[in-house]
Amino acid sequence: MKWIFLKWVLFFSFYNVVLSVAAQEIGQSLDSLEVRPSLVNSRLSLPTQLTQVHVISPGEYFAPPLVADISDDRFGDMVRMGRNIFINTDVYAKRYAGNGLNCSSCHLQEGRKPHGIPLWAAYGRYPMYRHKTRTVVTLEERIQDCFIYSMDGIAPTLDAPEMKALVTYTKWLSKGSPVGVDLPGRGLPNVSRTQDLDPKRGKIVYETRCELCHGKDGKGQKHTNGEGYIFPPLWGGDSYNKGSGLQRVRTLAKFIKGNMPLGASFSLTDQESLDVAIYIWLQERPRNPKMSWAMDFFFPNMAR
Amino acid sequence: MGVVLIKGIDVELGSNIQRSLVSRLKNMSGWSVVLAVLSVFLFIFLVQFALPFSSDSQEPYRLVGEQLALNGNGNIPACAPCHGLQGQGNAEIASPRLAGLHPDYIKKQLEDYARDPLNTRAVVEPIARDYVKTPRTYGDLTVFTPGTRYDPKMNELAKMLSAEDRHNLAIYYSKLVFVATPKAYDFETLERGEDLALRGKPEYGLPACDSCHGPGGQGFGAIFPPLAGQPVTYIIAQINQWQAGKRDNDHLALMRNIADQLTDGDKVNVAAYYDNLSYSVNSE
Repeated sequence: MKWIFLKWVLFFSFYNVVLSVAAQEIGQSLDSLEVRPSLVNSRLSLPTQLTQVHVISPGEYFAPPLVADISDDRFGDMVRMGRNIFINTDVYAKRYAGNGLNCSSCHLQEGRKPHGIPLWAAYGRYPMYRHKTRTVVTLEERIQDCFIYSMDGIAPTLDAPEMKALVTYTKWLSKGSPVGVDLPGRGLPNVSRTQDLDPKRGKIVYETRCELCHGKDGKGQKHTNGEGYIFPPLWGGDSYNKGSGLQRVRTLAKFIKGNMPLGASFSLTDQESLDVAIYIWLQERPRNPKMSWAMDFFFPNMAR
Repeated sequence: MGVVLIKGIDVELGSNIQRSLVSRLKNMSGWSVVLAVLSVFLFIFLVQFALPFSSDSQEPYRLVGEQLALNGNGNIPACAPCHGLQGQGNAEIASPRLAGLHPDYIKKQLEDYARDPLNTRAVVEPIARDYVKTPRTYGDLTVFTPGTRYDPKMNELAKMLSAEDRHNLAIYYSKLVFVATPKAYDFETLERGEDLALRGKPEYGLPACDSCHGPGGQGFGAIFPPLAGQPVTYIIAQINQWQAGKRDNDHLALMRNIADQLTDGDKVNVAAYYDNLSYSVNSE
């Protein structure tokens, strides 16, 4: 038993050294002869990627109800409160929010976007077995995990008005969607890697495709009035912590492929998404609250 | 260390007056040198607070730009007849508001207007020398151009402007006051426009306008221009130009992808929604 423990410690310490070396290599300057200058300093890309075009036909994805159609009763009030919390968590659920992100930073377009972790596809699937906790979790418990990890804050209790409002909003948004069915556009699209992941390539992708909005330092950009983020931070103290789902390279790559850059979904290849995901994964962010300070200090790159 | 510094200055300076100043500094005791240095820091500290109130460094550029915008210069005609005396634009000829736009945005648009659309200096990179030795991102063949913008009038006018003219005009227009007058539209148009502006069309992969152009379409930085306060005709004409490929100067082809998704109804609804908002810039 002791030996097994020692083996794991040795394994992880070695793992950690390898990762820190990889992180140092990113900082090295790139050979100017081998990098296309246009790639590093891009201003426009013309439609040359003719092999892969993502065309959406009418009726392909579930269409949630309109905000203007929210009813004028107590239920409608709860839906409106849930929507407010969802798109402006810092204001409407201030006591639970821990960082600069809103729910709609990941669940894009108010939880409506297919392949952008839409709420309407999730509602009919809960309660479900979750590999991370190895238990069957309800929708409320899943939302609690969002607050603990992705929002790096405090979980609202199951009977909190904020929790009720969020579940009500989810229920309203999935009006007419079937229960227990994998709807098209559920969660995130799949990625498959063709080469080993390379954070150096990821850095180039970041500088050409992501830096414009998320900033050179990845800390995002705040609104003009200084309240909240217009472009959310990808790393740093105001971003999601190391226990969240996006800290998994594969999940982050799926998110990037299906949604980023905003308005140009599926424009990055699988390999580009994975490369930029591992580049983002190597950056600093808040520790996993379920992991001790000592573990975070000695093994900073362990996701969970 | 202070002595070494003063000796260095002594060698460099040539004039007698400065030399006498340095020799006086040399005779000062240690504490007075420290005091002198501290007082210099204090002076700099105070000046940086006083500067913004005393004078505006961009004022000369603004004045020259104002002169050019209102009266023109030689062959260059004035901007005011089309863009308005207050830079408020003209809806009848789809002429945009310029007052209060980001100076870098105005500069970039003038540069893109002046560029010859047939000579964009687009560079298609040759095949990499050795793919094995240089495993970089060659996932697609991407062509990068500086961007062009077609307009029969502005193409001719922008070619007459020098870099200084563009800078002066940008400073002048960015500092103008603008207060929008919200116009009335029917309820259905506004409701549909708001839905598109705040939520986009997620089932077609179209993001919300406000997610980049800022809340209320007030614009964000030099890259995302304001939509509020622009004439409806201008917004519709520009989306038509994106769709027709006559305007091609966006970053990462973001706006081109978005314009391709917009129907004729969407353009009208969303432009009406932004025309209905109250909006002001540079005014108290």
